[in-house]
Amino acid sequence: MQQYKCIKKEEWDKVLEQLLVSHTIFASTDSEFGIDYELVTPAVISRIIYNKPKPATPLKSFYLPVRENVTSEAGGAKPRIILGIPNCDVEGLSLLDEIYLDKEFYDVYYKKRRDETLMISSDCFGIQEHCHCLSYGIKPFSTGNADLAVIKLEGMMIFRILSGKGEDFISKIQGILPLTDKELINIIDKEHNSTEALLKEKNKGLPDYKKTGTLVTEAKKEIWEKYSATCVSCGACTTICPTCTCFLLIDKPGFEKVKQLDACQYPGFERVAGGEDALFELHTRFRNRYMCKYAWKPEKFSSIACTGCGRCIEACIGKINKNELFMELI
Amino acid sequence: MKVTADDLKKIRFFDNYTDKQLDTIAAISSIKEFKVKDILFEQYDELVDVYVLLEGSLSLGISLANDKRIHLGTIEEGQFFSWSAVFKPYISTAWVMTVTPAKVISIDAKKLNQEIEKDCDFGFKTMSKIAQTISQRLSDTRFQLMNQLTL
Amino acid sequence: MKSKNIYKPIKAKLTEVIDESPPIKTFVLIPEEEFAFKTGQFIELSVDGIGEAPFTPSSSPHVTDKLEVTVMKTGYVTEIMHKLNPGVFMGIRGPYGRGYPVETFFGKEVLILGGGCGLAPIRSLLYALEHIKDHLEKVILCYGSKTPTDCVYKPLFNRLNNTDKFEAYRTVDKPDEEWSESVGVVTSLLNKIKVNIANSVAVVCGPPIMMKFGTIRLLEMGYKEDLIYLSMEKNMSCGLGKCGHCMMGEYFVCKDGPVFTYNELKNTPDIWK
Repeated sequence: MQQYKCIKKEEWDKVLEQLLVSHTIFASTDSEFGIDYELVTPAVISRIIYNKPKPATPLKSFYLPVRENVTSEAGGAKPRIILGIPNCDVEGLSLLDEIYLDKEFYDVYYKKRRDETLMISSDCFGIQEHCHCLSYGIKPFSTGNADLAVIKLEGMMIFRILSGKGEDFISKIQGILPLTDKELINIIDKEHNSTEALLKEKNKGLPDYKKTGTLVTEAKKEIWEKYSATCVSCGACTTICPTCTCFLLIDKPGFEKVKQLDACQYPGFERVAGGEDALFELHTRFRNRYMCKYAWKPEKFSSIACTGCGRCIEACIGKINKNELFMELI
Repeated sequence: MKVTADDLKKIRFFDNYTDKQLDTIAAISSIKEFKVKDILFEQYDELVDVYVLLEGSLSLGISLANDKRIHLGTIEEGQFFSWSAVFKPYISTAWVMTVTPAKVISIDAKKLNQEIEKDCDFGFKTMSKIAQTISQRLSDTRFQLMNQLTL
Repeated sequence: MKSKNIYKPIKAKLTEVIDESPPIKTFVLIPEEEFAFKTGQFIELSVDGIGEAPFTPSSSPHVTDKLEVTVMKTGYVTEIMHKLNPGVFMGIRGPYGRGYPVETFFGKEVLILGGGCGLAPIRSLLYALEHIKDHLEKVILCYGSKTPTDCVYKPLFNRLNNTDKFEAYRTVDKPDEEWSESVGVVTSLLNKIKVNIANSVAVVCGPPIMMKFGTIRLLEMGYKEDLIYLSMEKNMSCGLGKCGHCMMGEYFVCKDGPVFTYNELKNTPDIWK
């Protein structure tokens, strides 16, 4: 039986207001531009939404800024809370952890941000048009990797504790009680099931993650040429992807280095000093991203490299849909 | 200078032949010696012998219209050359000249061809060796060409 | 876990610049901090405020107070490097990657096939092998360059031929008037060397075309796939297995290489591009 803790919403809002003194808080809100994170101020608190998928910005943006100086001292910043993370992003963070917290070469800037951030995931009650997390074995609600999961139901804020940090946080909140109302717990289970049913229905026939590797490796050149016909190498897919992290190191005077996010979709990604470019043709760059995500990264890392969030489909200005591609490959 | 089957056994090119086959080759071979800058044959010469280089080093190349010699490669000890002598029209595709004093085994190509026709096993072995030499020469030439065409 | 910042270079003073050939110079550097590398590993060498590029040091891994890096002028950063004068400071990050496993060469003959600027990492390997030559049967170097002027480290060949257990052969694609050694591609040198393939390892380092043809010949000669060592240069950037630029199939060249056995790469497509 899942253990939940709960507190009245009005109380939770007061807790947030108090936390603002000592923390920087980002939370999911809905606006004319769609659902995304907003920097929380007292005025924003009433507009925070819960359990509605999903913020446009991927979680990776909080840990890997577009640009940062990686040779200066890691700045002292207020601890952070990110509220309303969908589980697809939470799972995607595992891959970033494997890359940036690697024992031999670990990134102090990434580590600092990870240590000083509390992650509160929000169960998805409902789906967006291109969500397909379940096809890759990812549930629409967190059971690990984040610190807490939150559900707003009938005037109550209900929490699932997922880590020691989360436990610590909850224990410090006045008025938090264990949830005993079986009705509410049933409703939560029902919502989980119906969201999963929606995902299954919407994504019937999509190959599971294990199969994707073989499918892309065996795909013929014509497929890549067909689907990359409208691609303009804008890099939107890589920017908005929760697991894409390729970057450039730019030299600044005084032997300083600036780390800036890059994209394998950009022309010249593999161009060498002598001028040769193994990925000169656009369709080869297009294919490269699929091979990287579905064939190569799974060989190298144990974490999943595509979480099925579907943001790349929404963001693509060439209206390229990776799920259509996979359905054609089957 | 006469050649014996034992002389041939020491050379890698002749491995795999039976003793009888080596005797046959020895009977139609002789050893020739050359000084520095001796020309063994010119491009477009009609060739009558095939050779294996025993000692020294030879340069191989082609000539341009103005008689300028372009040095394309080096023939090293143990290598077989002058294969055009085995195939019609028996015309050389390149010139070969000594770089250092050299010693070669020279084999009568017409008599070699007669033996190839007479003895299937000998013919197969000999043609395989020649094909191997030409194939390697072609591969090396392509490599050399690609080197010139790219960075 | 190391707490040192993985992105921050250590400073090294440029003390000498040696002209090897028109596009190639060797830089002699003295790092300000302790620095050691294994032969075959690479560093990211930076020009302050301009950029960095990956290089395999060409000096002996047993000499730790200074470092030599041979740089060919190829692009933006290397062009600026070639204009540097002794006295300036450069930045070094590294060493990175997997080098040559020289300990596994004990008791064997080592055949090295080099081309063009590939002689830079090979020179470091030769120093390392010289250090352990009592444990080796024989070391043969076959090196090819386009012209005699392109052949770097000219005194090296004489020295090697006068070192016990070492043999060195050179060839050029296009000779000049004074050239008296072999002419032709480096693979043609393989016709004249004597090597016991059953007890031998091969190392190949040079431009992609040379590595492709060289590997094909070595396989034809009978070398085992897991005993042919290839030095893959592939757009290494961060050197840390993170930035994604050097990915070659499932491998990060900067972490899993740059030294690979042919066995590891034979199923990876486009390795010679």
